[in-house]
Amino acid sequence: MRKDPRFRLPIMFIAALLLQTTVLARLRVWGVMPDFMLLVAVAGGITAGPTRGATLGFASGLLIDLFLPTPLGLSALVFTLVGYGVGVANTGVLRSAWYIPVLTAAGGSVAGVVLYALIGSVLGERMIDGHLATIAVVVGVSNAVLAPVAVKFVDWSLGSLKSSTNISV
Amino acid sequence: MAVYRRSRRNRFFLVLLALTSVTVLTLDYRGAGDGALESVRQTARDAFAPLQSAADWVVSPITGFFGSVGEFGDLRSENARLRRELDEARAEAIRGADADRERQRLLQLQGLDYAGGLDSVPARVISTAPTNFQLTITLDKGSDARVDVGMPVVTDAGLVGRVTEVSKLRSTVLLITDPQSNVGVRLANSGEHGVARGAGTNNPLPLDLITTEVPVEVGEPVVTSGLERGLFPAQVPLGRVRTVSAAPGALQKDILLDPSVDLTRLEFVRVLLWKPAK
Repeated sequence: MRKDPRFRLPIMFIAALLLQTTVLARLRVWGVMPDFMLLVAVAGGITAGPTRGATLGFASGLLIDLFLPTPLGLSALVFTLVGYGVGVANTGVLRSAWYIPVLTAAGGSVAGVVLYALIGSVLGERMIDGHLATIAVVVGVSNAVLAPVAVKFVDWSLGSLKSSTNISV
Repeated sequence: MAVYRRSRRNRFFLVLLALTSVTVLTLDYRGAGDGALESVRQTARDAFAPLQSAADWVVSPITGFFGSVGEFGDLRSENARLRRELDEARAEAIRGADADRERQRLLQLQGLDYAGGLDSVPARVISTAPTNFQLTITLDKGSDARVDVGMPVVTDAGLVGRVTEVSKLRSTVLLITDPQSNVGVRLANSGEHGVARGAGTNNPLPLDLITTEVPVEVGEPVVTSGLERGLFPAQVPLGRVRTVSAAPGALQKDILLDPSVDLTRLEFVRVLLWKPAK
């Protein structure tokens, strides 16, 4: 009961959403803010492997999509792919040095931003211009800074769900 | 073998989630506004609104404090400057009021409408939308306060943007600096029409379609043109000309505009209860 992810996961998602829409939306560098919802997908991939990473990415993407002006499902698609990709890349580097998750978060976040812009452009949103590089760099760096916290938070929220995957991965 | 089966299951799962996303994406894209997904989205936004307001109430002084630590020294000189400007503006207003009355009468005679006389709804800027790709703000008023998609948003200084999404308690405004924004404008001195296009945060707005023969002065005011079927009512100030140049052989001038509203520090705005003619 205490480690039940059925309670912890909703708490994590709502807290992440509040953090993203109130605090982080104000902390902008060159007009760009950290993307915590994307970081949830990355952290999911880091702590719990590809499948859970993809699932967490899908959920956090769909959640933030509800509050975005872009088409519903765009973030869900991108975050699913990012969560899965990070999970695959990180398989077998369990309990590694502290900087591995930080670098992974930076790489995963940059990849997520670029993928988002690419798929968004296919859908007719104007997203690829000079500003994209700024967005990718700022999101990459700020997400890397937030990564240790996010990994702990997501790890906590998964509770008993995570241990079963860690053994087999 | 176990690893093989596992990775195959992983991949199946990935494809499943990705296809679900694409399905949602397609449905939302085709539904274009009034589909079932749009109502899900609006419900979610309204349900989250009180929680967000509460968190915002807690957080805004803190982020405001961090934002203002470095500004304290500037505030004193800014205050003095603003007082001086206020005195000037008061004098200007008295002179303007007379001219305005005259103009109102002329407009009335000719049966034209006037942006200054439009009803409006005051709204507070809750936050910027949680995206890095579009320059939007969220307002604390929605369709319950008669706000609707397409309505122009202004401050006393001038044009801010246009409402693009609305739920019962919240609305989203696309700023004029967003690259997807185009505003039909008129140069105050020559009366020539052009289009002011967004170019990102803190960037001046390029003004297109002004031919090289038109005399343009730096500092010249620019207002919305309000042509028939335009997206904005006439006479809303947008900004002033910052630079003018013309490349040799070009058909139009290169003009950059400074928006008259500081779009990075918005707090209160007014939504004009005006909708473009369809």
